[in-house]
Amino acid sequence: MPHAERTLRDRTAIVGVGYTDYSRDSGVSTQTLALRAIRAALDDAGLGVRDVDGVACHRVGDSVDPAQVAQGLGIADVRFVRDVFGGGSASVGTLVDAAMAVASGMAECVVCWRALNSRSEGRMGSATGPAAAAGDAQYWIPHGHLTPPQLFAMETRAYLHRWDYAAEDLGRVAITQREHARLSPRAMMTQPLTMEDYLASRWISDPLRLFDCCLETDGAVALVVTTAERARDLRKPAVLISGAAFGGGYQLTSNHWSDRSVAPAVRMAPRLYASAGIGPEEIDVAEFYDAFTPLVLMQLEAYGFCKPGEAAAMVADGATALGGSLPVNTHGGHLSEGYVHGLNHVVEAVNQLRGACGPRQVPGAEVALATSQPGMLSGATSAVVLRQAA
Amino acid sequence: MSDQQVPVLMDRDSREWWLALRRHELALQTCTDCGRLRWPSRAICNDCGSLEWRWTESRGTGTVVSWTVTHRPPSPQALVPYTVVLVRLDDQDDVFMPGGWNGPADGEGLAIGLHVRVGYQAVVDQHGEDATILRWEPSVGSGEEI
Ligand SMILES: [Zn+2]
Repeated sequence: MPHAERTLRDRTAIVGVGYTDYSRDSGVSTQTLALRAIRAALDDAGLGVRDVDGVACHRVGDSVDPAQVAQGLGIADVRFVRDVFGGGSASVGTLVDAAMAVASGMAECVVCWRALNSRSEGRMGSATGPAAAAGDAQYWIPHGHLTPPQLFAMETRAYLHRWDYAAEDLGRVAITQREHARLSPRAMMTQPLTMEDYLASRWISDPLRLFDCCLETDGAVALVVTTAERARDLRKPAVLISGAAFGGGYQLTSNHWSDRSVAPAVRMAPRLYASAGIGPEEIDVAEFYDAFTPLVLMQLEAYGFCKPGEAAAMVADGATALGGSLPVNTHGGHLSEGYVHGLNHVVEAVNQLRGACGPRQVPGAEVALATSQPGMLSGATSAVVLRQAA
Repeated sequence: MSDQQVPVLMDRDSREWWLALRRHELALQTCTDCGRLRWPSRAICNDCGSLEWRWTESRGTGTVVSWTVTHRPPSPQALVPYTVVLVRLDDQDDVFMPGGWNGPADGEGLAIGLHVRVGYQAVVDQHGEDATILRWEPSVGSGEEI
């Protein structure tokens, strides 16, 4: 059947994951971080550098060139090089690029990573000289509106107002994830967080407070992608890339998006589920891109885990906590584990499906969702459904 | 923000829009073939695909979709707090335009759905040249205009 041959479903697998420490000052270059994380991921898979024939990363002018990494790994004849300019909305998509390269036969074994010194070597969106080609950002930069918290704050106020959500609804997201982070050995934030702490935290860009915002982390994570067949013979239980999709969205200013009440991923989600042949009810654990707390609520709605306007109640009921019906961001996410720009979410999903999460393990997790930023501000999104190999 | 140089980053597509602001005109592109409005500047109509368009003047009014109040300055020189407003234009419901706020710096009095009109603020750009940026303000007699 031609359609079956054209789908990515279960044809590729993640066979290794690796990380560096997450810190506030790594003391090393992003090249070193990338190579260390890749080495760790290959060790995890039981593979060596000679097995790698493709490289893929996303970056925003803040990290090592993947071609340089390929040379560093000693790949004499690299078969796939993907250098994605993008942030949180590109993270999962870079993994999908790797899967497509493997499924097509372009490459056999691709490493994906994100390496950044976002704390010690420059913050994203800091006001240190706008690029010559500002694009649509030229319309907000003059107003002092340019950092990620400011840009998401604009989306957040409209969203909170539309569904009559309160500050406490965002606070519960931060608190839930902090509790999860307390169970992650890699987490940067492990002190308990109370609602009083949350509400007392300082404004960053109203309506976003400090504890609505992600951490700034030095660190790297890497993933190894190969064919489902080859995955069967490797060291760790394979995690299949069961479904994948890219989608669109809007920037602050753009046409054809009159309705801003549900995140743009709502239009992609049906395509994602169809690609995996499942529905949201089959997802056991969700790792949502969470640069800011409202993104979690938005994605619960956009990905069909509840109706628009019901996400806050879902979080308040404990559904997204460990032990709930849909544990979300079981590692603590970008809010409390660390900020490795979307890819530590994929790593956590893999670890959940391997049953390797110790005290934060979701019992019997077989299918996981991992997402990128859901399509605001960049105008792009992507996500994967991962599945435990049978 | 007002005493500092403001980065005005016009490009070849947007130059006319920025120059119109200096004349205190709010410009939108109008598709010559189907009449659809668009902003920011694009070479093609996102409805009919026509490459033919002209600049036309907006009614200059709209409603507040959202706003932010910045407390953590993006650069050390920035004076905080300050407010930035996102407005849905009355001309067409999917054109959203951000701007400064000609009102209290902490945004007091703003409300989603508030009717506003365009205002203009003279600034000095990064080259020391005179420039103009958008600054929304409460509309007067907004009851009739809605
Ligand atoms: Zn047209």
